Amino acid sequence: MAKEVVLMKGNEAIARAAVLCGADAYFGYPITPQSEVLETLAELKPWETTGMVVLQAESEVSAINMVYGGAATGKMVMTSSSSPGVSLKQEGVSYIAGAELPCLIVNVMRGGPGLGTIQPSQADYFQTTKGGGHGDYRLIALAPASVQEMADFVQLGFDLAFKYRNPAIILADGVIGQMMEKVVLPDQKPRLTEEEVIARCPWAANGKRKGAANNIITSLELDPAKMEVRNIHLQEKYKEIEKNEVRYEEIMCDDAEYLIVAFGSCARIGQKALELAREQGIKVGLLRPITLWPFPTAPIAKYADKVKGMLSLELNAGQMIEDIKLAVNGKVKVEHFGRLGGIVPDPDEVVTALKEKLIK
Amino acid sequence: MKLEIIIAGFGGQGVLSMGKILAYAGLMEDKEVTWMPAYGPEQRGGTANVTVIVSDDKISSPILSSYDVAIVLNQPSLEKFESKVKPGGIIIYDSNGIVEPPTRKDVEIYRIDAMEAANEMNNTKAFNMIVLGGLLKLRPVVTIESVMKGLKKSLPERHHHLLPMNEQAIMKGMEIIKKA
Repeated sequence: MAKEVVLMKGNEAIARAAVLCGADAYFGYPITPQSEVLETLAELKPWETTGMVVLQAESEVSAINMVYGGAATGKMVMTSSSSPGVSLKQEGVSYIAGAELPCLIVNVMRGGPGLGTIQPSQADYFQTTKGGGHGDYRLIALAPASVQEMADFVQLGFDLAFKYRNPAIILADGVIGQMMEKVVLPDQKPRLTEEEVIARCPWAANGKRKGAANNIITSLELDPAKMEVRNIHLQEKYKEIEKNEVRYEEIMCDDAEYLIVAFGSCARIGQKALELAREQGIKVGLLRPITLWPFPTAPIAKYADKVKGMLSLELNAGQMIEDIKLAVNGKVKVEHFGRLGGIVPDPDEVVTALKEKLIK
Repeated sequence: MKLEIIIAGFGGQGVLSMGKILAYAGLMEDKEVTWMPAYGPEQRGGTANVTVIVSDDKISSPILSSYDVAIVLNQPSLEKFESKVKPGGIIIYDSNGIVEPPTRKDVEIYRIDAMEAANEMNNTKAFNMIVLGGLLKLRPVVTIESVMKGLKKSLPERHHHLLPMNEQAIMKGMEIIKKA
C-alpha cells in the first residue's frame, strides 16, 4: 500500500520523524522559529507509546548537557533550538565532539547576531562548519531544503552520528521550519533494547558488566602527548567522513554557463531564479550542498573550468562563499548575494544580482 | 496548472487558516502544495500574510516575486502587494478593510463584501471561507469537494458540526464576488 502523504511544517516533521525513528530522548527549550518541535513532541506524548523521553529543560545549556549524559549511555538523544539557543549549547557540543559521542542537534536558524530577530537566516554557517565551540572538532552538518528532508535527515543524522561516534547537526532555517509541504513519514521503528544498545555501543557507559573494563566517557586528558594522539585520531576520523559522506544535488548543471551554489531555503529560491533566468536565455545551473560539512569541494571544483562564474546565494553576508572559493582555487569568479537580518530575497532579486555581479 | 497566491490581511482574520485550507484541498487532489507564512510576532490586529502555491508539478521556491492572485483584506496589504500581481492576474479585496481600492489597469480587480455577508450570516468567523469561495469562483484550482474533504481531515472531530456552515460560506462567497 502506498504510504500516506501528509501536510505539515518542517518543525513538525522533525518531531514526528524523531519518534518514528525510535529516538530515546529529546531535551530542548522553546525558541522561535523552532518551538513547534517541542510542541509537537508534547502533543504526540511518545513517552506513552515508544517510551521516548521528552523534556523541556530549564535552559539550552542544561538541554545540551542532558544530551551529553544520554549520549554517553549509547542512547539516541537529540536537542533542537534556534541560533541564540544554539550559541548557548556550544560548550556542550565541543565536549560531546571531544568525548566522541553520537547525538543529533537541530538548528532552525534565525537572524543574528545576538538575540537578533525571529525571521529566517543562514548566518550560522560559520558556527556550524568551522566550529562554534572550542577545539579542533567537526560536526556532520546536513542542510534540508524541504519538509521531506527535515523528516528524512533525522534518521540520516542519527545513522551518521552512530556510524562515526560524532555529533550530527541539521542546519535548517525559519523558512524550512515554518513552511508546510507534503511529506511521507517513515514507519515506526521500535527503540533499541538495552541489549541492542550494548551491542551497538560497546563504548557506552551503561552500567558495569561482570568482567568488563570501565567505559570512561570524557573529553579531558591532561597529558598533552595523549591528548595529541586523541586529536590525531579525531582528524583521521574526520578525513574518513570527508571521504565517504559528501552529499549534494545538481540541477541543470550540464549546460550551465553560470552556477548558483545554495543550500536550504536559498536552494529553493535559487531554483526558481534558475527557471526565470533560463526563460531569459541565461544558462544557469544550481549546485546544492546537502552536507555543509563535509563540503562538496570536489563536485564544485569540477565546474571551475566549465562555467563563467559562480554565485553563492546565502541568507548571510557571505560565509559559504569562502568554501566555494577554496574549492575553485581562483580559477573562476565567485560572487556572493544574500540578504541579512531575517530578510529573504525573492527569485527576481537573485536573477538581478546574478546579472549584475557575473554578467553585467 | 499552477496557481501562486498571496493572502494578506490583519492577524485574526483567518488569513493563515484560509491558506491552510487551500493547501489541504490541494493535498486531497494529489497536487503539489507549499504554504509559507510570513511568521512573526504578529498577533490579532497586526498584519499577516501567507503564500500558497498549488501546482501539478514540483514547486521550486515557496517564496515568490510576483503572484497570480492577491487576496488583500486590509489597506497596508493592498499597498504592499498591488504591484506584485502579475499582469493579467487578479486582485480580490474586501470592501470593509479597503478604503482606497486598487487602481491597476493591467489586472482584474474583484470586490467581495465578505465581512458584510459574514455579519448577515451571524458568523464573523465565516469571513475567510466566504473569501475563499470568491477565489474558487474565479480560479477553481481545487474543487469544493476537496476543500470539504481537506477541512474534515484537518479539523478535530469536535468541530465537524461546523462543516455545513463552512460549505454555505464558500457558496455565499461564490455568489457575492463581483468585478469592481
